[in-house]
Amino acid sequence: MKFLNKINRQYFWTLSISLMVVSLVGYFVLRMILKDEIKEDILEKEYAIVKEIKSDGNLPNIYPIIETKKVTKNKIEAKSYKEIYISDESENELEPYLEYTNTVKINNQYYLIKLRHSLLENDALIVAIALPLLLLLILTFTILFILTKKWNKTLWKDFEKNLQTIESFSFKNIQDLSLKQTHIEEFDRLNKTIINLTDKLSKDYTILKQFTENASHELQTPLSIILLNLEELLQQDLPEQAFKQVVASINAVKRLSSLNQSLLLLTKIENNQFNDRNELIINKIVENKMQEFTPLLEKQQLKIELNTSESLVLKLNEKLAGILINNLFSNAVKHNIPNGTIEITITENELKICNTGKENTLTNDTVFNRFTKENSQSYGLGLAIVKQICDNHHLKIYYTKENEKHCFTINKNFIYFKKGY
Amino acid sequence: MKILIIEDETELLITTANYLTKEGFTCELAKSFAAADEKVSIYQYDIILLDITLPDGNGLDLMKAIKQNNLQAGVIIISAKNSLDDKISGLDLGADDYMTKPFQLSELNSRIRAVLRRRKFDGSNIVEFNEIGINTHSREVTVNDVIINLTKREYELLLYFIINKNRVLTKEAIAEHLWNDNIDLADNFDFIYTHLNNLRKKIRKAKGSDYFKTLYGMGYKFTDQT
Repeated sequence: MKFLNKINRQYFWTLSISLMVVSLVGYFVLRMILKDEIKEDILEKEYAIVKEIKSDGNLPNIYPIIETKKVTKNKIEAKSYKEIYISDESENELEPYLEYTNTVKINNQYYLIKLRHSLLENDALIVAIALPLLLLLILTFTILFILTKKWNKTLWKDFEKNLQTIESFSFKNIQDLSLKQTHIEEFDRLNKTIINLTDKLSKDYTILKQFTENASHELQTPLSIILLNLEELLQQDLPEQAFKQVVASINAVKRLSSLNQSLLLLTKIENNQFNDRNELIINKIVENKMQEFTPLLEKQQLKIELNTSESLVLKLNEKLAGILINNLFSNAVKHNIPNGTIEITITENELKICNTGKENTLTNDTVFNRFTKENSQSYGLGLAIVKQICDNHHLKIYYTKENEKHCFTINKNFIYFKKGY
Repeated sequence: MKILIIEDETELLITTANYLTKEGFTCELAKSFAAADEKVSIYQYDIILLDITLPDGNGLDLMKAIKQNNLQAGVIIISAKNSLDDKISGLDLGADDYMTKPFQLSELNSRIRAVLRRRKFDGSNIVEFNEIGINTHSREVTVNDVIINLTKREYELLLYFIINKNRVLTKEAIAEHLWNDNIDLADNFDFIYTHLNNLRKKIRKAKGSDYFKTLYGMGYKFTDQT
């Protein structure tokens, strides 16, 4: 719920409740005052009646308002007020009255006086109180609603703008976060806190990024020294055992270096350091790779089938596109069986590479994990890189097993739900 | 042939220099940007091996001085960074080649020779080894003055072997040379057998000697010495 809606709703409830309380209190207070007025009125009437009885002995009787009669001493009633209901002849319904009863003694004769006053005005009273208050409620709320809506455009404008800036902010951009001053203390305090926070995070992010890169680069120099020395060692006339040990060491160093480079590449892709993207025709890249891999295919006697009825065009970084296809090919060759096949299908939306291979326990969830490997010769990074490239370019990649073949499909018509940063 | 090696890592510098001296080059060494800058502006070199990351400056900035004073020198950039940007800007500034650490000496030798061949047009585009001759310009290979037809890979293989003659080359190094930087080939290096066997057959057919020596099934040496 929007902040303003919430505020408006609360305004509404607070106002409604307080107005209800006010009108209830008002109702009772007014009723009390009115009753007092009525009593006063009654007493005045009594006085006038007593005066009339005294002067000419006339007993005025107007039902139901005035009732007077002579009574004997034993029928004296004490002075009292009570509310009674009397049926109204004209409208045939019960109506409330305040009844005053008193006995007065005039010239040694007791007179019972009953005076009644209608309380019917009460209903009108409620209406008279509630209606203006209801009008007040509606009026206040309408004005408030219009005003807050209007203020929203001015007061919240800068806040809204800053919110948009923050939403679109990414650490990958070089630019620092800059927020507009709102001249509202709370908002400016929030801005300051956010800027401090992002500055710190931004610094940490850069340091981490640099550390990963520098660490990887620094590793290459000692690796170079090891490699060069081993290579020189190999040039001496070594006995078979030593020769094999040196070659094994050289290969291990190379693996280490290549592993290091793969990790570095993965980090770079994760950091979005390959930003220039072009529309690339995947068919061409696949055809080129097929040629490059021909000797490997021949050696394992793999049959390759390419079905391209349509062209697949993807917006990719060129270098990453090469790596992507290369890694998929490497994977299809490496995990194949002798006399196996590789099937490549390219449609307008999809690239699918299927290869024969041994049974495995891998699933779509595990196959792309780093260091998931089937044999000790691979690093288990190739497919992790493939996945990372696809993720970065908002492409969907998934692994399936079809007719005992292992298939990787890249689909471009996939709505990628961006994680909230 | 004079080579200037610019590299701040002593161990790397010395190993490289020793190897290149053995290969018949005269080597001069520079360990810092300042030293390199001075040498480049005073002396003339045929090849300059340039490490980009120097403690007192970026190697790429040396390119300007090199282009001013050493126009005939071939420059090979050596970098710990496998960065495409550096590669592009290096080549844009006039470098002839770009190598990433760690590299192998046989590969470095091949690259140096290739740069030299490209830069000099006075007949040095002929690489010879006994009865075998390679014209790197027309890409023709002759054995006993008879032209033999080689595939692209066989040609590259032969050139690599002759340039790195008398040197032990591992299967992996050869495969990488032919394959450039196709990562993650793992244990699939054996395919060079096929190429090598075909090459041997073609040379033998032209009555050439078989100079390829197999070392314990793990490496090769191209040599006429026993």
